[in-house]
Amino acid sequence: MGATATLPQLVDWLTRFRDVVAENQGYLTELDSAIGDADHGSNMTRGMNAVIGKLGEPAAVDALFKTVGMTLVSTVGGASGPLYGTFFLRIGTTAGAVAELDGPALSEALRAGLAGVIQRGNAEPGDKTMVDALTPALDAFDAAVGSGDDLAAAARAAADAAAKGRDETEPLVARKGRASYLGERSAGHLDPGATSTALLFESLAQALA
Amino acid sequence: MIGIVVVSHSPALAHAAVALALQITGDTKPQIAIAAGAGDDVIGTDAVRVAEAIDEVASPDGVLVFMDLGSAVLSTTMALEFRESTNEVRLSSAPFVEGIVAGVVLAAAGASLDDADREASSAMTAKNAQLGPATAAPAEAPRGAAPAEAVAEATIVNEVGLHARPASLIVARMADFDATVTVSDADDPQRSTSAGSVLGLMGLAFAKGTRVRFTGTGADAADAVEALRAMTADGFGE
Repeated sequence: MGATATLPQLVDWLTRFRDVVAENQGYLTELDSAIGDADHGSNMTRGMNAVIGKLGEPAAVDALFKTVGMTLVSTVGGASGPLYGTFFLRIGTTAGAVAELDGPALSEALRAGLAGVIQRGNAEPGDKTMVDALTPALDAFDAAVGSGDDLAAAARAAADAAAKGRDETEPLVARKGRASYLGERSAGHLDPGATSTALLFESLAQALA
Repeated sequence: MIGIVVVSHSPALAHAAVALALQITGDTKPQIAIAAGAGDDVIGTDAVRVAEAIDEVASPDGVLVFMDLGSAVLSTTMALEFRESTNEVRLSSAPFVEGIVAGVVLAAAGASLDDADREASSAMTAKNAQLGPATAAPAEAPRGAAPAEAVAEATIVNEVGLHARPASLIVARMADFDATVTVSDADDPQRSTSAGSVLGLMGLAFAKGTRVRFTGTGADAADAVEALRAMTADGFGE
């Protein structure tokens, strides 16, 4: 594995994400039926299927993620559409018209994505949302890149941190989205958005391995 | 005239709410665009479609957007980044159905974006007043601030009372005058609202036989209260 994430690897990331979301469609929806409106699995599967159907051969990283983001906002239907859509759109505009991203460039793009999600959803860490998987994932990624690890190791560290962040949403009381209507009763369940975000970083680790 | 955008998870819900609002407006219909569903019978919202809807009804007077739950708000805030028009867009905090009714009626009457937004946002107040005892009605005309310049009274003759359609006719008629008119129950003056408030009027739900008092201030006060008196005595053309 080299020092950069290439366009084919980024497409592979998204394809793996689509596959694992589709495999876990029932599981994600089950999590969402406990504390939300039981559509996260079907929404994300529909959205990512549409994304993969539209990708073609992207000219550059910005074009790739613009297609991903715009397709998600139009096809997901639920809150994940604007949230994941903003995440990928910000990644694209930050990365620019390049053919590959090195560690710092990928880190900067992912950070812009996280900032977009926080801005769109007004969520903070601890609100029991996708931010609780995304934030530790990026912290771990940055730490690994900063200490000279290659991209494969950094992506692996990010995936492990995202999974840990997902697990740590279980005892939390939701403060955003439909789950927040449940108040204390939202505790004791994994957050569906944090769970799909953990899948996103597991897919990245596999694509860059 | 301001434009209206309706954002819903469900096309059926959006179309029905708009149909309800249009039923009580007169012949003047505002520009209304619906952005509902996420395509292919999917219950959800689509930020790109919301942006298109805003552009479809964009006007120099502004656009007022009504949203149902959850992702409707997220998709609409995202649409503000995608739209091509540059006119002012306001996201209404009003409850969906009441907000659309108020927004459409006020838009048809030529209200400003500020006034339509304020009236729609007061929808909960109107409903609370209807349900609870003597809660303040929305957009109440200031009392005691200025001396009344004109007063007129008429009795409701309509079998079903002063319902939605007459309320919208009053609001639309008020747009013709430079006047502020308070509508009250002559026998229970606490029950009052502004003649410019369709939700306030609907909330009062004056029954047949109610003696209604119109109290006007402003340059056209006399003409305004006379016009409303005549409409009421005439049964609002029904």
